[in-house]
Parts: sequence; structure tokens; C-alpha cells
Amino acid sequence: MSAVEQALPQFSSKRLEEIKTLIARYPHSRSALLPVLHMAQEDFEYLSMDVQKLVAKTLGLHLMAVREVVTFYTMFREKPCGTYLLEVCTNAGCMLNGADELVRHLCDTLEIKVGGTTPDGLFTVTEVECAGACAGAPVVQINNAYHEKVDAAHMDVFITEARGQGGKK
Amino acid sequence: MTALYINDEEVTVTPGTSILEACRENGAEVPYFCYHPELSVAANCRMCLVEIEGWNKPAASCCTPVAEGMKVRTQTEALEKDREMMMEYLLIHHPLDCPVCDQGGACKLQDYAVEHGASHGRYAEMKRAVVDHDLGPFVSTCMTRCIHCTRCVRFADEVAGTGDMGVLDRGDHMRIDGIVEDCLSSELSGNLSDICPVGALLDKPSHDVSRPWEVTRHKSTCTQCPQGCDITIESRGDEVIRIRPEKDGMEPWICDRGRYVYDAFRSEQRILEPKVRESGGLVAASWDDAIGRAVELMKGKRVGIVFSPDWSVEGLTSIRLLNDAVFEGAKVAFDLHRRDMRSFAFEEGLAMTTQQIEDSGQVVILGSDLRQRLPVLMQRLRKRINAGKPVSRIGAMNYRTNTEPTKDSLIRPRDWSAVIAFAMQQVSGLGKTAAGMDAWMAGVEGRHEAGKLLADALMDDSCALLVGEEIRSHEDAAALIYGLDLLMRACGHAEAGKDGRNLISEGMNPQLLSSVFGDVRTSAGELFDAASNGELDVLLLIGSDPQGDGLFSVQAKQAMDKVPLVQVGAISGQISEYAEVQLPAAAYSEVEGSFVNMEGRIRVAENPLSSLGAERPLWKVMMRLIQDMGGDIPAVNLDELRAHVIRFAPQMEHAWRSSDELMITAARNNTATHASSTKAPSRSLDLISRYSMYREGAWVRASDLLSEAGCLHALDDVLVHPNTLAGAEGERVVRTSSGEQSVHVGSREDVVPGVLFVAKRGVAGDLSSESEVDFVGGAA
Ligand code: SF4
Ligand code: SF4
Ligand code: FES
Ligand code: FES
Repeated sequence: MSAVEQALPQFSSKRLEEIKTLIARYPHSRSALLPVLHMAQEDFEYLSMDVQKLVAKTLGLHLMAVREVVTFYTMFREKPCGTYLLEVCTNAGCMLNGADELVRHLCDTLEIKVGGTTPDGLFTVTEVECAGACAGAPVVQINNAYHEKVDAAHMDVFITEARGQGGKK
Repeated sequence: MTALYINDEEVTVTPGTSILEACRENGAEVPYFCYHPELSVAANCRMCLVEIEGWNKPAASCCTPVAEGMKVRTQTEALEKDREMMMEYLLIHHPLDCPVCDQGGACKLQDYAVEHGASHGRYAEMKRAVVDHDLGPFVSTCMTRCIHCTRCVRFADEVAGTGDMGVLDRGDHMRIDGIVEDCLSSELSGNLSDICPVGALLDKPSHDVSRPWEVTRHKSTCTQCPQGCDITIESRGDEVIRIRPEKDGMEPWICDRGRYVYDAFRSEQRILEPKVRESGGLVAASWDDAIGRAVELMKGKRVGIVFSPDWSVEGLTSIRLLNDAVFEGAKVAFDLHRRDMRSFAFEEGLAMTTQQIEDSGQVVILGSDLRQRLPVLMQRLRKRINAGKPVSRIGAMNYRTNTEPTKDSLIRPRDWSAVIAFAMQQVSGLGKTAAGMDAWMAGVEGRHEAGKLLADALMDDSCALLVGEEIRSHEDAAALIYGLDLLMRACGHAEAGKDGRNLISEGMNPQLLSSVFGDVRTSAGELFDAASNGELDVLLLIGSDPQGDGLFSVQAKQAMDKVPLVQVGAISGQISEYAEVQLPAAAYSEVEGSFVNMEGRIRVAENPLSSLGAERPLWKVMMRLIQDMGGDIPAVNLDELRAHVIRFAPQMEHAWRSSDELMITAARNNTATHASSTKAPSRSLDLISRYSMYREGAWVRASDLLSEAGCLHALDDVLVHPNTLAGAEGERVVRTSSGEQSVHVGSREDVVPGVLFVAKRGVAGDLSSESEVDFVGGAA
């Protein structure tokens, strides 16, 4: 057990200080989970199982409590992904407005499957549940920005531009 | 009280009740999935919709509290439409595979689909499939059938306290997952299959075995720990298929030990026919021959009787009758975990009911691994902790409870008297005292500050002390227990002459045992020593396995090397190597009889399973022995036998004559007093024998299912604080008086330094009965 614990990634001491301040703000350490997950994702790029264990240990939570939050929000990533993460909402509203075709188009253009990353490491395409912006359906979230009422042509433009920038966001 | 109308009928319920509960109480049917009386309200299945006059939408009844004058309707056309839609929604991804699902016939989803669902599905799109999980030996999964009611998740959080089930992802991707290293870490995991309203979480051992309508249900009592849970044994013919908590029983849950021990009923370890030893081996014999052999061995001899406390009340009493009829003056023992046999320690069992314990202002666990010992009681305490009520603990290890106690103090067993003395000092400083307390306190030199925790709890209006194995197996148990009694009296939790203490017994029937055997009982250790010293000629072992359980395995072995053994019981076990004769006695599932649990609650089993072989109820075996030994048979039927029981324990009469008064109290010795001892402990390290619910007890060792779980939850043979045996972790050879053996030493920071927790037993000897332990290459 101690061997496993030692193998866990660690927060920097500066981070730990920040986390401590954060926890002190809430009645329960659990309330600090979302901001701490953001910090962890910033530090470790994505939230591997080990990072999730670290977060659980740091906040004194069950690992499952952390897993539930990490998987609920699509803004948290459990795997490394491309420079551009294209999250296509395929829930009812977006589906009725062409989300399925959009996913197909993206996968065909980028020659990857849903969940896959292009070999140049530029793009990852995933399907997500309702992004909460149904009025703008179909919605694609690209990194932290929502792109609403998008269609295939719109995405083509985006892809060409992104490629042009050679991977710099 | 709140008055409201349900379908035009006026009913009154406690304020704050939910509409769903009000309907259930008053016989109005409302369908539901996610609601469970023992769990928090999640309100996520939306099946429980009802109409409330003046509300413009149907309301989820499980999360809507009643209000004065509310008019609720549970049967309307609109509601039927809503329910049909809810069912359609819940069934969208369901595989509709009832014919191959174990839940079929006892499934809410199936029932409601028939009652409220449409006859055709309209969903023609792709259905999703969900990966299954390996949740260990007891729970199998078919997650595609899950309707996401989250009962299992709430169970893991609130009841088991392990938090190892959870909801991952959201929307259409939502799925239930379990975090599993090897298997679910809860000792209550078997309840998951009961709690899942559909066929997603299933009972693994009975998977694909039977259909709910094929089984016969037998009301019975689990005897695997002193809790004595109310169980229903489900059987097909004489084969046990499952054990479940009884519906409307005292407790909604049972533990995995009590649930899965049933495969031992049919194991190869069962004694199903009389056997006698012939040219080295045990061979089948007729009852006549076997009894003849037993009589030959025992007639006119000095006999020592060791029996298990877990037989029925009738069976136990028949042992006493045997003793009185033909072995007058024999040594009798049934306790394999007690070193101090002075009178106070005779009086066992709880002075309070589990409900009173749960409700009292303070609860203090004194030296017990309660989660392993009494998982269901621990669950009650967990409920308390979750409700913000304190549970504190003093003990030699931070025993895992899955929900942390509110306060906690680590002490060595040798410090108990100093702890009690310090508590006495504290309470007497606050003006609380009892006759004899000052003298007791004065007899103890040291003071240990953990006593503060105890004193604080005792100063509350109500306080429950749970006295566990660390004290019970203590060399000075009687004095410690007396000290605790004084404290309880001083603080007004017990009247003079009473104790109010809850001493956790080793097995079932503690109150009855003190009534029936109080005057003839000796220590098992002494009895074995007597046999080794030539003071006894033969041992009669009735269901007990002193080699596999308890503190005296070394002495037991020496004794059996010396004198012949007559074994009566249901499980053969390793001890059978020594048996000259084996007489089969019926299992607890197979007898008509009564059982008393640690609270003193009596339960009578009336429709037992039929026997598998030639075994007979224990009392019949005893009567036969009396007859063939030339004694007068005291009872020829159960009624006559019960008349004898009543002679020893008059309160039992109620259980058989009327059905209300179902509790008995122990025959307590109120006069004995025991001064605190000043004896210095004989060794430098304290030894505590550690209990594993998957390994202790002859029945459990005969169960493959529990043995498998035992491997997954294996305990270190020896567990210490890292400073106690510096660098000793890993495989080590240990030298004891009975030879060398290899043990696995583990270490944990939250064990008090200076203590060896010993879990390993076996032929080479139980470390915990050694006065000197020598770790080869290490200090001890
Ligand atoms: S597995 Fe069963 S109990 Fe758990 S959420 Fe699914 S249906 Fe409910
Ligand atoms: S808690 Fe004890 S009595 Fe209840 S089922 Fe488990 S072993 Fe049996
Ligand atoms: S359905 Fe796509 S944003 Fe809501
Ligand atoms: S029972 Fe009310 S919403 Fe599930």
C-alpha cells in the first residue's frame, strides 16, 4: 500500500498551499473538489487515475466521489488529447439539428474515430451529452469556447485555420 | 399529526412524512424504484408520481412531504399515462431479457411494466450496452439492465460506508461503477443484490440456479455471530439456495458471513452420518454402533465437555441434562476466548437493545473490532455517526469501521485499568461516585488519559458502553468489567446492583448460557490442561472447534493427544483427526428450536429444512446418549424438554406460550466484586487475537464462498506498529513452545506500539496463547 502511495504524482508545495487556503473557505473539503480538479488538470495536463487518487487523498474523499465529478463534467479529461478538443453535443436538441452528421463529417475529414486523436496530435473528437446550450444547437465545444449553430462548412474553416497555425492555439 | 386525504380517504400521519410513505402506511399503492425506507431520498426515477389537488403538475411523492388537508390521488387516467411514459423512458435501453434474468419473478421493473407499461415498444433506434463489473465473489452484474435509481450508490455511501459505488458520466452515457481492487470492501456487500430493484446487481453464488417462485422460505436465525439476525432461508427441496434478511425482521441488512455461510450446509465437512474410527480412519457406522462406541469410551469415566454456544436453546439445555444425568461433576466449558473465569465475566450479553444503543446520547466502543465482530450493530452505529451523533472508541488499533468514529484513543491492553481509574478520577471530581469505586481506583497505580474520553461520554444523560474482546479476553477481565460497572453506577446509568453494560459475547445465547451453565462452567483452557494432566479420561466436543478457534488451540491439541475424543456436531473440521466417534447433529437450519441473541431477544424457528442425511437434532442425540449410558431420559419430546429449559430460565416460557414478551435477561451475579489488580503483565508485548469474519468459526471455515472472500480480505498473520518490531515486515519465522512456523508480519501506523495482533492459528500453535514469542532474527 505504501509503495502504491509513493508512486502517486504529487502536487507542488505551492499548489498544496493554495489548496489549503481553498479548503479553508468551505465548510467541507468536498466543496473544494471542482477548483482542485481544475488545478490538477492544469498541473498534470489530464486527470489520470493516479491524479484522481491524489486529489481524493488530498481532500480526504472516496476515490469514487472524485471519479463521479471528473466523469460528469466533460471539461475534465481522463486521457491526453489533441491541441484542439472538439466536443460535439449529440443530445436530443443537437441531434435534431444535425449533430450526428457533424460527427460523421469531422471523423471523415480528420480520419479518426470518435474519441480518437489525429496522428499530428492536433485534434480529438468526442461526443458529449447536452452541453446546456440547446438554443444554439448543434453545439461544438472547442477547448473552452462554445461554437453554436455550426455546420460542416464552419468546421472545415476551423480545421484549415487550426492546421495553418501549426498547433499553436 | 398531519391529516390529509389519500384517494378521498382521510388519514393522519406524522408531520414530515413523505406522501409516498403516507400512502404505503395506508395501503394505497404507488409504484416506485429509487425510494428505499433505509436510504436517503434521491427522487430520480420519477415513477412515484401522484396528483395533488391544486397543483398543476404531478408530484414525485417520495420527496414531497405531506401537508395539512392535502388531497392526494394515486389512481387517475392522467397518472396512468404518466406512468406509462416513465416506463417507456426507463425501458429505452433495457435489453428486455426477463427470461434469462435471475430477477425475473421478483422484479419491480417487470411488475410495473406489466401493470403500467405499454404493450409495445416504440423505440427503434440503437440501444446502448454497458460493460459489466467484477464486484468480487458475491455480486454479479448485468449493468445494461440498470435503471440508475442509485440505490446501490446510496447503500455504499450511507449503509456500508465504503463509498465504492458511484455514478459515472451523465445523460445517456450515465452508468453505475464500482471501484474494485479485488472485491467490494464492505462486509455487507451481499445486500446489494437485494437492494437493486432490477436485475442489474445479482447474487453471484445463486446466479442461474433457481427462480423466485420455486423456493420455499424458512424463518430462521443466523447463529454466526451474537447478533442473531432474523433470516429467511430459501430452499428448493432440501437444498439451500439463498439466505436473506427476513422481511420485517429487526434489521434490514445481514452481513456476508451470515448470508453466504450456507454452502457449508452441503459441504464435504458436514457430518451426515455416524462414524467410528477403525484402523486409523473414520468409517460410516450405524447409529447403534456409533453410540455404543461413544458409551464405551465415556461410561464411568471422567469426562470433559466442550461445546459451542451457538446451538439452539433446547440443544444447549439437553447438554446440561446429559451432564446432570450421567456426568455429575464433569467439567463443562463453552468459551474459547476467555482467560479470566471469575464470576463477573459470566454475565454476558447486552443490557440494552440495539435500538437503545443507537438512540443513546453517547456510545463508547471499548476494545472491539466491531465491524468484523458485529457488522450489523456497527452498521447501526454508522447510522448514528452519519446523523451527527457521537461514537467514540478506545482500543489497541484503529479498527476499520468504514465511517470514522467521532473520537478515538489508542491504548495497550495493559493500560485498561489505568484508563478506567482515570475515568473514575474524572467523574468523582465531578461529584459522581458509587460504593466501592474509591477502593477500586486506589488499587490502580497508573492513570491513562484515554480515560478522559470515557468519563466525558459517561457524563452524558445516556451512555452505552460496548465492551469488546480486548477486555473480555483480558487476563484481568473480571476486575476491569467490575470497574466499568462501578463507573456506570456512579454516573447514574445503572442502579446499584445492576451494571447497564453491554458485554459482547463470543457467541449466541449468552443470557441463557449463564442461566443454564453458570454453576458448572469452567475455562476451556483449564479443562484442556486437566485432560493433559491426566485428570480427565475423555473429551466430549459438541460443535466446538478449539483448534480452529479461540485462545487454547495449543492446549486443546495437547489434550487430544492424550485422551480420546468423542465428537458430536454438524461440521467435521480439522479436529476430526482426533475423533474416535462422530455423531451427526442437525444444523441450525434444520432444527425446530429457539435462539437467544446478545440482546436477549428470543426467536423460535418452526419450519426447518429437512435433514440431508442421518443427522438428528442435538437434543435427540443427547437423550440417546443418556439412555445408552444408563440414565433416566429427562425428555422425550420438545415440550418436555422445554419444561426443563423453563426450570433454568423461567423467562423462556413466554416465548413459547405467548408471542409478545420475547426478551429474556441474564441471570446476573450482582454480588461479586473484584478489586483492581496490581499484577504486572508477564510479558513485554501484549498479544491480541484478531478476528476475521471470513475465517472464525467451524461453519465459516467449511464454506468455500467465505473462504474465497477470506483470501481477498486476508489479514496479516501478525500485525504490529512499525516500531514494535522494527523492520520485521514480511515473511518471518517464529519460534513458539510448540515449534517453528512461518508467519506474515504486517505493520500499520494506527496500531498501538507494543502490541501483537495475531490472526494466524493452526496446528503449530496459536501465538496468542504463548507467553513468550520469539521472532527469529527479530526482537519480541
Ligand atoms: S445497479 Fe440496480 S440499484 Fe444500482 S442504480 Fe442500477 S438499478 Fe439501481
Ligand atoms: S450479523 Fe451476525 S447474526 Fe447477522 S447475518 Fe451476520 S453473522 Fe449472522
Ligand atoms: S442538446 Fe445539445 S446543447 Fe442541449
Ligand atoms: S421513488 Fe420517487 S422518484 Fe423514485
